[in-house]
Amino acid sequence: MMKYKYVGQPYNRPDAISKVTGKAVYLDDVRLPDMLHTAVLRPQFAHALILSVETSEAEKCPGVVKVVTGKDCKFRYGDNIKDLQPMAVTKVRYIGDPVAAVIADTAAHARAALDKIKVEYKPLPVYTDARDAMAKDAALIHEDMDDYWRLPTLKQASGTNIANTYHLVKGRGEEGFDEADVIIEEEFNYPLGSCAAIEPHGTIVWFKEDRTIEVWSTTICPFIIREDLAHSYDMPVSDVRVHTPDLGGCFGYKSDVTTEQTIAWIASFVPGRPVKWVGTREEDFTSTLLAHGIRTKMKMGAKKDGTLVAIKSIIYHTGGAYADTAVNVTIASTHNSTGPYEYKHCDLTGYTVYTNTPAVGAYRGYGHQESQIATERMMDLMARKLGMNPLEFRKKNFLSEGKVNAVGETMWKHNGNLLECANRVDKMVFGKPKPAEDDQFVYGRAMVTVMKSPKGAPFSTKGCYMKMNNDGSVNINMGGAEVGQGLRTVIKQVAAEALKIPPEQIRIYTEIDTQYSPYEWQTIGSMFTTQGGRAIIRAADKLIASLKSTAAQVLKTDVDYLEYDGEFVFLQNDPTIRVAVADLARGYITSDGITIGELAQSVSDARLPRYSNPDKNGQGSIGVSYTMGSQAVDLKIEKKTGKVIINHFYSVFDVGQVINPLQIRGSVLGGVLMSIGAALTEEVVFDKEGRITNPHLFKYHIPTYKEAPEQTIEFVETPDPIGPFGARGIGEHSVIGAAPAILNAIYDAIGVDLFEIPVTPDKVKAALEARKELK
Amino acid sequence: MAERMTFTINGKEQTVDYEPEMMLLDLLREVLNLTGTKHGCDNSTCGTCTVVMDGKAIKSCNTPAAKAAGTSILTVEGLAKGMELHPIQKAISESGAVQCGFCTPGIVMELYGLLEANPDANEVEMTNALNKHLCRCTGYEPIRDGALIAQKMIKETRK
Repeated sequence: MMKYKYVGQPYNRPDAISKVTGKAVYLDDVRLPDMLHTAVLRPQFAHALILSVETSEAEKCPGVVKVVTGKDCKFRYGDNIKDLQPMAVTKVRYIGDPVAAVIADTAAHARAALDKIKVEYKPLPVYTDARDAMAKDAALIHEDMDDYWRLPTLKQASGTNIANTYHLVKGRGEEGFDEADVIIEEEFNYPLGSCAAIEPHGTIVWFKEDRTIEVWSTTICPFIIREDLAHSYDMPVSDVRVHTPDLGGCFGYKSDVTTEQTIAWIASFVPGRPVKWVGTREEDFTSTLLAHGIRTKMKMGAKKDGTLVAIKSIIYHTGGAYADTAVNVTIASTHNSTGPYEYKHCDLTGYTVYTNTPAVGAYRGYGHQESQIATERMMDLMARKLGMNPLEFRKKNFLSEGKVNAVGETMWKHNGNLLECANRVDKMVFGKPKPAEDDQFVYGRAMVTVMKSPKGAPFSTKGCYMKMNNDGSVNINMGGAEVGQGLRTVIKQVAAEALKIPPEQIRIYTEIDTQYSPYEWQTIGSMFTTQGGRAIIRAADKLIASLKSTAAQVLKTDVDYLEYDGEFVFLQNDPTIRVAVADLARGYITSDGITIGELAQSVSDARLPRYSNPDKNGQGSIGVSYTMGSQAVDLKIEKKTGKVIINHFYSVFDVGQVINPLQIRGSVLGGVLMSIGAALTEEVVFDKEGRITNPHLFKYHIPTYKEAPEQTIEFVETPDPIGPFGARGIGEHSVIGAAPAILNAIYDAIGVDLFEIPVTPDKVKAALEARKELK
Repeated sequence: MAERMTFTINGKEQTVDYEPEMMLLDLLREVLNLTGTKHGCDNSTCGTCTVVMDGKAIKSCNTPAAKAAGTSILTVEGLAKGMELHPIQKAISESGAVQCGFCTPGIVMELYGLLEANPDANEVEMTNALNKHLCRCTGYEPIRDGALIAQKMIKETRK
């Protein structure tokens, strides 16, 4: 195996010190001259016509500068479907839709005046689940859906609430089930949840007198926001400047345009002054992006010998009031519902459905855990029906080298060694005997195998700029958002390896500012290490070439006769004839003051190789890189209460090459715990009127210190030829396995099959009762 | 109407004007511009607003500002001596306990309240203290590691 000097070492993150001293600047810490504050009025109804909005009383409140409504707003926005408006105009479609806003001297004054705004509504029927919104006689949430601009690959069902239908056919599709000996069919639910980062969303927008717009936001896609606002306000993209300060976690819901257009609309009424909005925790739940909301109906067909032949999945996605951000989650969920297995025949359908709930957007895992909860439960159910060991059944069907996945890509050895991951996890979880049921507890164990594809787009490029200074140190600037995942450390180590200089001589950017930062589509899809890493290596190669080009003139030779070792450029045959790298940084300056050559700087970029849009059968190239792995759980159920207690969680992924062992373990530890939260406690609950009943962290329970299980985490390293020094993405994969593993382990414990999460104690208690009846 | 009080903030006595309905968190962030203390939820669940008042870790989001009168408050900005980090900051910054960092100031101050008063805090005390804080990134294991390293460092300085 290749040995690297800096890649693979546990370097500490460059932003750790600013974060432990309280000096890191997050959105709410940004203070600007003459800044105003805004608070946004949310409706009392989740679906209603707005009859009138009366603002005069609010305008008289202390400190109030302006009250803003959606009246006269003419534009819609959205990257995939332009179905969004910055503020409600004629109707509200969910409980967090912005209806009006107060701009005041302080946030407290702005909030206090909200109560004085009087709005008259005419309530309409409310749908909080895709199935209900798809009913034949359902009221339309978007009456003018057919008029919206959408990507040419998307197709609405006119006269319904279906915003898009994605359909994939491989082989003979559903007809392929005629080759199956055994067919099973079940339905699963991964309900609505929240990323619930500890930092809520916030945005500052400033329409400046020089006709530029300056924005600060809790966003991982400042470049999209820039393009979007420029389009909405009919300005050159270059005149919109967006900053991403330090981010207090993302996990998905700070991607895409979330609150920025609303705050921009509000700020446009007070040109010349910056306007700041920071969401309350309640607004973070009700008025930013939610997650999941996916029901999967799955039919699976296999031969008697355990060969899978056909799969049919139908994804019913509760997409929320606006489908712009949900639609790609649906698509990813649909074509990845196969899991890491090969089927000759696939018939996969995904419905993105308008509902009267907050829009669903990205959540770490992006559709994969939502449908693979079905896949991995079905694999166990099918194995049981076939009388096979669940792992042996899985192994027989792995998407290994030469197999063809649902979208039609031929897998190669570089997609990783899933077999090795599965064998290791198997040994970890089943290596010792299971404790027998006792008075207090009953014990269960299960393992699953998972895969995740990247989520690309035709323009998912990442840029890199590096400049060498006159002491040989290097500054690197990129557009990748540091959300806590440790991207800056990765950049430092990859760049050090590529430039052959110590990481201590490399300083990474601390803020993204579209005025200076190289273009990046958005920092999503577990793609930064692979794509950003490639951009770094390409830029480093160019920088070294530039140094050699200058050195060739100094040493009076040809470029290809030169070597570079990080300190010197020298003749291949005689290293004593050399020039120091530091002396080449500003071009080479001779003793008589003549500058030879060029500045040592470079620009490069990288993207998903050969990503393509889906064809008419829903197939296409996702962009080469998959990461696969295996996870397992060892749990016990408290019989008195039905509480599920996770004893130990196991994960093994083939990541190609570990860049930083400290960070990669931290990433998986956190991802696993998030997904245990989803499996056991987390659900955003709606009442019949479409109000969220638990929009607070004391009601929406995310895992605490005491609930974190011990974890064993290992990595297989089959180098990837595309990623930097063999590495592939791992940011999201750790969240996929927990839910199905836990449900499979509950079956192992008590012999009852469960089909939805969260498995709260009352549900498990009911399952324990059902077990008694079975006996 | 604004009220006036005097208290000690990060070792310095200070007199401030504040609105009577203000919480200590607002006083720190909005009046004193000490933005190291964070606002993560609105009902003292997440713990990132934790500061130390007269040696004890408290949540500043549900402590009325008026209660600070005459007390000594320490925030995350007050721990380091120039370039020299407090052992808790050093340990937490090196153990992998920092990812997004938004929960970090609260955890650092919680540990300060615990370990400065009781460097021999046992596992239960440590667990109960850390259980008051939500972290969405790390899975808590690296926070435990950092806390234990910090405890060891503090004990050594007390020897």
